[in-house]
Amino acid sequence: MNRLWWTQVKAVIRLELKKTFFAKRGLWIYAVAALPVLLFIAYAIAMSNQQHRSARIARDGEKPLSYQDLLAVKPGMTKDQVVATLGRPPVDIHWTERRPTGPGAFDEIQHQRFQYSDGQNDLFVEFVGDKVEGANVQDAYNLGEDAIVFAGVFQFFFLRLAIFFGCLGVFMNLFRGEVLDRSLHFYFLSPVRREVLMGGKFLAGLLATCTIFVTSEILQTLAFLWHFSPRARDLYLYHHHGLEHAATYVGVTILACIGYGAFFLVAGMLFRNPIIPAAVILIWEAINPFLPALLKQFSVIYYLKSLCPVEIPVSPGTPGLFALLISNANPVSAPLAIIGILVVAFIALAVSSFQVKRMEINYTTE
Amino acid sequence: MNDRIIFEDVSKFYGEILGVNRVNLSIPPGITSLVGPNGSGKTTLMNLMTGLVKPSRGRIQVLGIKTDDPERLFKIVGYSTQFDAFPRGLTGFQFIYSYLSLSGIPTQEAERTAWEAIQRVNLVDAASRKIGAYSKGMRQRIRLAQALAHNPKVMVLDEPLNGLDPLARAEMIALFRASAAAGSYVIISSHILHEVDVISDQVILLSNGYVVAEGQIQTVRNEIQEHPTQILIRCDRPRELAAKLFESEYMIEASIHKDDRGVLLKTKDADRFYLALNQLALNGIQIESIAPADDDVLSVYEYLIGNEEVVR
Repeated sequence: MNRLWWTQVKAVIRLELKKTFFAKRGLWIYAVAALPVLLFIAYAIAMSNQQHRSARIARDGEKPLSYQDLLAVKPGMTKDQVVATLGRPPVDIHWTERRPTGPGAFDEIQHQRFQYSDGQNDLFVEFVGDKVEGANVQDAYNLGEDAIVFAGVFQFFFLRLAIFFGCLGVFMNLFRGEVLDRSLHFYFLSPVRREVLMGGKFLAGLLATCTIFVTSEILQTLAFLWHFSPRARDLYLYHHHGLEHAATYVGVTILACIGYGAFFLVAGMLFRNPIIPAAVILIWEAINPFLPALLKQFSVIYYLKSLCPVEIPVSPGTPGLFALLISNANPVSAPLAIIGILVVAFIALAVSSFQVKRMEINYTTE
Repeated sequence: MNDRIIFEDVSKFYGEILGVNRVNLSIPPGITSLVGPNGSGKTTLMNLMTGLVKPSRGRIQVLGIKTDDPERLFKIVGYSTQFDAFPRGLTGFQFIYSYLSLSGIPTQEAERTAWEAIQRVNLVDAASRKIGAYSKGMRQRIRLAQALAHNPKVMVLDEPLNGLDPLARAEMIALFRASAAAGSYVIISSHILHEVDVISDQVILLSNGYVVAEGQIQTVRNEIQEHPTQILIRCDRPRELAAKLFESEYMIEASIHKDDRGVLLKTKDADRFYLALNQLALNGIQIESIAPADDDVLSVYEYLIGNEEVVR
């Protein structure tokens, strides 16, 4: 790229960024990007409240308890044995169950639930009569499960919907929006090669979408980690590959913006009505797991799924179609996936480049 | 021909609708006016010249540059369009500055050049206001500033005087004349024929997508055979002069001017008539002036196209 082209690309980016970031019609993109952040903030608030409750229960207990103490209660123990081990319960709920034994006759069964806490993890002890029927420890943190929840939100909401529709809103309007505004001639009357203009607009769109969605991704990670204790946070980040996963998610987000951005740029040039190509691409991406191996390669989600760091397990009993949607049957290696997305994006940009050179200013037909 | 704007057998169709058909032009420096009623193809011709639309057939070159090479073309061409829309949210200054930045002009030079262009169209006071708040005349002026900002050799101006007040019109016309005198190519489209008549070095008359005439007004007029040339002779004794003039075989009709100080005559062959006039013994009739009365754009337009949709 020669120096003039680079100067021109920068000028296009300056003009486009202002429009993309502050356009009223693009406000919904911020909302879509903010949704998973709000979800994780709500989750963190709920978890934080639960931790406060656990801390209060631990304070109200007769003596300080450890996690090992909580695990000491087993079914079959008597109420007195439990109290001897853990002290008087800070939370004690009891109720009577009336179980019918015949016409107008009932057995009254006494139920009781004790709740203990070590400050973070809670123990629920269920009594029937005087015997422990069940003892259930609810961990404050389940790093493996939390990581899968995060992966699920990332793959099924953030990638497939938020970034997909965000890129649609930004990239499809790069040229089409100006045709509708009847202002595209401003660019076409300047001494800029059409391919350079297209490149500048694509980079501006990429910068905008990456800023919005990478920020969202980082905020999601922070919100996700917020309720963790410093120890649990260290454990997740440095021993459960949390840091590595966070970096990978940011990388996948950027690649998604590149892939979908290139797709929607070319779609915005080829079609007058954006709903049709958007629906076609959405369906194409959705049916990707059912496509033959060769056709799979012409989609963005195929490569993105292969790059996601946490695989979502398919539980037994999951319906076949849904299981196929979740699983990634033939994942490609990370380098191949990155090259694949870049090649798909390059092909889309080459088509855009050809198309932009043929574009005419004929607003009356729009 | 790298010193002309060339159209070679150019046609443009919008689907089945004709834009222009079989246009052959060779436009020299100076002020060239495109004249024709609405839908005659003036804007299409300008859009073709600037690559905004592609010809369905034929070839166009602007001073040797193909119109599908914007990087070179718009270094020498400035186009003030009729499209009354601007990139959102820009002030007048930002609009011109952004345009110059896109050309790759360094920041400081772009700022200076932008202010110069804004000064040239008298918009300095409004330069920091959003274009969305401009009046129609101001928007016209900022479009002109954009077209002229980089001092292009070729200025393509679609209805450039629309919405301007008389003072601004006079200033713009002076600007176009100065540019043309300096060797620029100023291509103007206008409905206002008396303005075209005053400023044009040559005209291109369009009707229904066809070029019906082109060249200097007088040359075009002389080529219109079916309408006799009209000449106005101002003198002190018009009746005597009229009687004398009928001695010439080239005279068709003569009428006394309403102020009784001249004769308006029609002739089949103006050149021969002028020669014959020199040989007539005028017996002391004082001739003040002899001037063609219908070699202006208005007359030519009426003869060739009719008098639809024009402002005199």
